[in-house]
Amino acid sequence: MADSLQLSALKIEAGSQTLVTGVDLQLARGEICALVGPSGSGKSLTARAMLGLVEIAPGVTRGTLEVMIDGTIHSPEMTGDSRARRKAFAKVRGAVIGYLPQDAMSALDPLRTVGRQVALTARRAGRDQGPTHWLNLAGLQPSVANRYPHELSGGMAQRVTIAQALARGSHFLLADEPTTGLDPAIRRPLLDELRRVADEGVGVLWITHDLRAITGIANRVLVMSEGQIVESTTPDQLAGGEVESSAARRLIEATRRIAAGRLG
Amino acid sequence: MTYTARVGIAVLVAVVAVGLTSPLGAWQAALEVSPDIAGQGPSPAHWLGTDHLGRDVFARLQLAAGAFAGPGLLACAVALVLAVPLAAVTAYRGGVVGSATRFGFTSLAAIPRFVLVLLVLSIYGDSSVTLALVAGVSYVPMLGEAVFERIERLRGEEYVLASQAHGLSGARILWVHLVWAACGRLIGRHLLALFGFYLVLETTLSYIGGFGVQEPTPSWGNMLVFEWGRRSVFDPALLAPGLALWLTLAATGWAAEALGEVEHG
Amino acid sequence: MLALSLVAVATAVQLLLWAAPGDPIDLLPNGEELREQLSVEWGLDQPIAVRVLSYLAQASTGNLGISLAYRPGMPVIDVLLQPALTSLGLLSGAVVLSLAWGTALAVWTRGQRRQSRRLVRVLSVAPVFLLAHIGVHGINELTFSLIEAGNIARPAWFALPAEASLVRSTLAIVLLAVGSGSLAEIHQEVEQALLTIRRSGFVDAARSRGEPTTLLIARHLLIPVASLAAARTGFLLGGLVILEKVLLINGAGAILWQAALLRDVPVALGITLFSAATVCLARLAADAVRIGLDPRLRGGSR
Repeated sequence: MADSLQLSALKIEAGSQTLVTGVDLQLARGEICALVGPSGSGKSLTARAMLGLVEIAPGVTRGTLEVMIDGTIHSPEMTGDSRARRKAFAKVRGAVIGYLPQDAMSALDPLRTVGRQVALTARRAGRDQGPTHWLNLAGLQPSVANRYPHELSGGMAQRVTIAQALARGSHFLLADEPTTGLDPAIRRPLLDELRRVADEGVGVLWITHDLRAITGIANRVLVMSEGQIVESTTPDQLAGGEVESSAARRLIEATRRIAAGRLG
Repeated sequence: MTYTARVGIAVLVAVVAVGLTSPLGAWQAALEVSPDIAGQGPSPAHWLGTDHLGRDVFARLQLAAGAFAGPGLLACAVALVLAVPLAAVTAYRGGVVGSATRFGFTSLAAIPRFVLVLLVLSIYGDSSVTLALVAGVSYVPMLGEAVFERIERLRGEEYVLASQAHGLSGARILWVHLVWAACGRLIGRHLLALFGFYLVLETTLSYIGGFGVQEPTPSWGNMLVFEWGRRSVFDPALLAPGLALWLTLAATGWAAEALGEVEHG
Repeated sequence: MLALSLVAVATAVQLLLWAAPGDPIDLLPNGEELREQLSVEWGLDQPIAVRVLSYLAQASTGNLGISLAYRPGMPVIDVLLQPALTSLGLLSGAVVLSLAWGTALAVWTRGQRRQSRRLVRVLSVAPVFLLAHIGVHGINELTFSLIEAGNIARPAWFALPAEASLVRSTLAIVLLAVGSGSLAEIHQEVEQALLTIRRSGFVDAARSRGEPTTLLIARHLLIPVASLAAARTGFLLGGLVILEKVLLINGAGAILWQAALLRDVPVALGITLFSAATVCLARLAADAVRIGLDPRLRGGSR
């Protein structure tokens, strides 16, 4: 059986409020699945639940997560905060499922050089190659290794987090709006980088609200609204406006309005 | 307002009220020596018993609040008058004068307050007015630095710029918006801390002796030593002034909770 | 900057001296006997600016004047040197201990356990002299009753605080680290810093990579802790002055009490300068730690 990630019946509650409910999601290695939806629809929460990192004080997470890698099934318990759960998730995090944060700049340790940080990650993952190897794979010059995070541009910082994810050797990657807040001119090269990472055999769940960027990058699209997945479609269908759910239609409308505003 | 903040304010108000009115009362029981009732334990007539001179401990406890209440408030007034206008105006104007003032505050804050108090006592001698003045002055660098920092940070913020654009006068913006609205709670917390500092200062000096309030005038500090050696440390007559001091200090902290920060958004 | 701060401090305390009504010799109990000697030494025939400057010039060469009453005729620097070292030892012990306890408590409470935090605050608010009073006499009473009952032989350190300097020093460091609000303040500040760091993006990122975060958090915590150590030094020094007197420790603080009682102004001035210098040095050390750790403070991007 091929390696895969399977999330079923995810439900996240905070007090009396249901934030995410009934979310099922599969991810195969080598594909990019875009997860789109308005802000507050539960996209990031879903991703963080797969890392066991949902931190809402009275929050309750339910559902099952099964990740199959080389015939081994990892299935950390999603509910509660037991020692066993934390241990199981510690095995999954990084090694199996990696995470690309939205704000790459704050995700880097400001006190250490980029090279040190990447080298540390690679060493912990048991990789022999030095930091320049991983920076190079992420499209960065070797000289970047000697810089501190505050000396990087936003795009470079995001590439460094990609280099770290590569060094960590995650089989799946949850990319949480990795290009939001970046200059439009450098978004495309970064997304191409993400595509290359997927082509190397990593399964990517790409959270975004930029519908126009999806074509040519993602293999398929999931639309999320009010804590539920309301539609599963393809980039081409989305681009052509052939959608069923009203949430997806509203997203397309909003995107068109923004584009028109920009052009006019 | 939290429950503890209410308790803190109530305790402080009560202690200060007793302290300010106590010099007016007739404190025969607190000062008159009556050998025939010396060294008694707690009784309905003498709630905390009597000391070895037959003076009522509870009455002395109340009279002792006068040793710090008035001077403590004076110290607060001194710090307020000296630090806040200077810090506010120089921080608002900025420039070389602002930097120099700030540097002055930071430098003088390097003198430990208690050391400065003892230095001043060595130069000017001991009196409760001197003590109140020097306690107030010794707090000026800390209060000044805090107010300076806050106003300097807020000076460039939008609501200040907007009020300037609306044609409000500089003085009005500074005193109403910056000092009163934005620094009021900060200043209040510092003044509570200063009052607590004065309380510690006064009791420490009279505990150690040589300075501060002297026998037969009671202070929570000298009451601790007066019966020392005659009774157990845990006797109510010896424990009471210590606990009163402890409780009042805790109350200054609780009362400060009522002045907790409201974030400016 | 450090030197400039000290100059500002020395100038301020000098002005305090000359601001006395009349002249400061009038204020001294034995002023008239010493008037001739002091007029020359303090330069009373000179304008105030000259007096301040000449004090600064002398102080910079280590000449802090001559003791008047505490050790009459002895140079202040000789009076102070040995006791100042004792005090510095106790002070550094208390700084380290209070930071260690405050940090340990902060790690334990981590924004939870409201009741424990309240308890720490209430216990810690007691002034050091009160804690020393209860501690010393409580220990003495307990020991005495045990000796009386024949349970133990009379220990070598009985009775505090007159005997056994080691027990006294330990007691001083412990009380200093806890009392007068020290522990509560440090606990609160470290806890705040800890929560901020734990919530930061880079800790979250390390966690999401499945890497241990303890060392990462510890390194980031060093920066606020260093600043805190410097900020607390002056406060602890004030407490040390009190404890040295109560616990009969021969440090600079105990001498300051004597100097204040005997109105020995040069000695009191010398100790004031010493303590301000200590605080300034602590600030300098904290800045060095912060700049050493944080490249953003080093400036000059490449």
